[in-house]
Amino acid sequence: MTLAPSVPSAPPIAFASGPNRQLLAVTLLLALATVPLMAAHALDHRLFQGDNVWLKPLKFHLALMVYTGSLALYAMLLPEGTFTTPRWRLYIGVVITCILAEVTWIGTAAALGTASHFNIDGIWSPIYGLMGLAAVTLTSLSLAIAPAFWRRRESPLMLGIALGLGLTFLLTVVVAGFMSQNLSHFVGTPVTGARMPLFGWSSEMGDLRIAHFLATHAMHAVPLVGLAGSRTAVWSTALVWTLIVLWCFARAILGLPPF
Amino acid sequence: MTATQLFDLTGPLALLGWLALALSPLAPRTTQGIAVAVPLILCVLYSGLILANWSSTEGGFSSLADVQLLFASEPIALAGWVHYLAFDLFVGAWAVRTARAEGIAHWMVLPCLILTFLFGPAGLLAFAILRFTLTRKVLP
Repeated sequence: MTLAPSVPSAPPIAFASGPNRQLLAVTLLLALATVPLMAAHALDHRLFQGDNVWLKPLKFHLALMVYTGSLALYAMLLPEGTFTTPRWRLYIGVVITCILAEVTWIGTAAALGTASHFNIDGIWSPIYGLMGLAAVTLTSLSLAIAPAFWRRRESPLMLGIALGLGLTFLLTVVVAGFMSQNLSHFVGTPVTGARMPLFGWSSEMGDLRIAHFLATHAMHAVPLVGLAGSRTAVWSTALVWTLIVLWCFARAILGLPPF
Repeated sequence: MTATQLFDLTGPLALLGWLALALSPLAPRTTQGIAVAVPLILCVLYSGLILANWSSTEGGFSSLADVQLLFASEPIALAGWVHYLAFDLFVGAWAVRTARAEGIAHWMVLPCLILTFLFGPAGLLAFAILRFTLTRKVLP
C-alpha cells in the first residue's frame, strides 16, 4: 500500500454554521419594511432635492439589508457559537438598535418632507449628532468581527473577508466622518444637475457619496477576489481598492467628479 | 346623549383598553379581559348607532363619493370612529396574545401597539413583519 501525498483540496467556501440569527432577523425586518415604503413611494408625489421623498429611506433600507445580510452570511464560515456568546449577543443587539434608530430617523424625516442628514435645525440638530454616533456604532460591527476571520487568514477567502471588513470600517469612518462635518454630500454647487445613471451621484462636481459607497463595499470587493484563491491577489485588491477610495475622496474634496 | 357627548366617552374608554395592553405582562389574563371587553362595548355602541341612523342617511359603499356622503352625517361619522377604535383595540389584543404565545418580547410589540393605536393597519403590518422576522409565521 502506498501512501499518496495528501493534496490540500479544501473547497473555496465551506460553511461551518448557520447564519447569525440576530443579523438574519434584522435583514428580514428591513426587507419587509420596504413594502410599505414602496407603497408610499408610489402614492406620494412630494420631492426632496429633486427626488421622491421616499427614495432615500428605500436606499438606506436596501444598503443596511446588504450590510447585515452580508455579515450574517460571513458568520456562516465560522464555527457555530462564534458570535452567540452573551457578550456578542448584547453587542449585536446594540448594533441592531442603532440600525433601527437610523431607519426610523430617516423615515420620519421623509414623512415630514425634511432632511435627515445635515439637518441642524432645532431639535434635528442633537438627533443628527446622536445618529452619527449610531452610524459609527453600527459600522463598528464589521471591524469587530474581522479578527475572527484574520485568525484563519491562510485561506484567501478568510483573508479577503478580514481585510474587506477592516477597510469597510476604517475607510467609511474617514469618508463619512468628513461628509458629516461638510453638512452636504456635495462639494461645489450644481450647475447643470448632471448625474450618473442608477446611483444619481453628481457627474459635474464633488460628490462624497461615491467614496462612501466604495469604502463601505470594500467588504464585498476584497472577499470576492479571495474566491479566486490567491492571497497575493487579495492583498493587491485591498491596496488598489483603498487607493481608488482615496482618489474618489480627494477628487470630491477638491470639488471634482472622480474622472 | 348627543353624538359629541358619546364621542367624548369613547376616547377614554379606548385608552383604558390600550393602557391595559401596554401593561399586559403584569397581569396577562386581566388585561386581555379589559382589551377584549372594551371593543365589545364599543361594538354595542356601533350597532346602536347604525340601527338608529342607517335608514335615514344618504350615501353608501358603492363609490368613494357615496362613502364621503355617509360621513357627512354626524352619528354615522361617530359610528365610523367607534369602528376604528373597536377594531384597532381588538387587533392590538390579538397581537399581544400572539406575541405572548410565541415568545416575542413585549417591548418589541410596544411600538407596534402604538402604531396600531394611531394608524391601525400600519400597526398590524408592523406586527406581522416583526412576527415573521422572529418566528417565520404569518397565519394565526
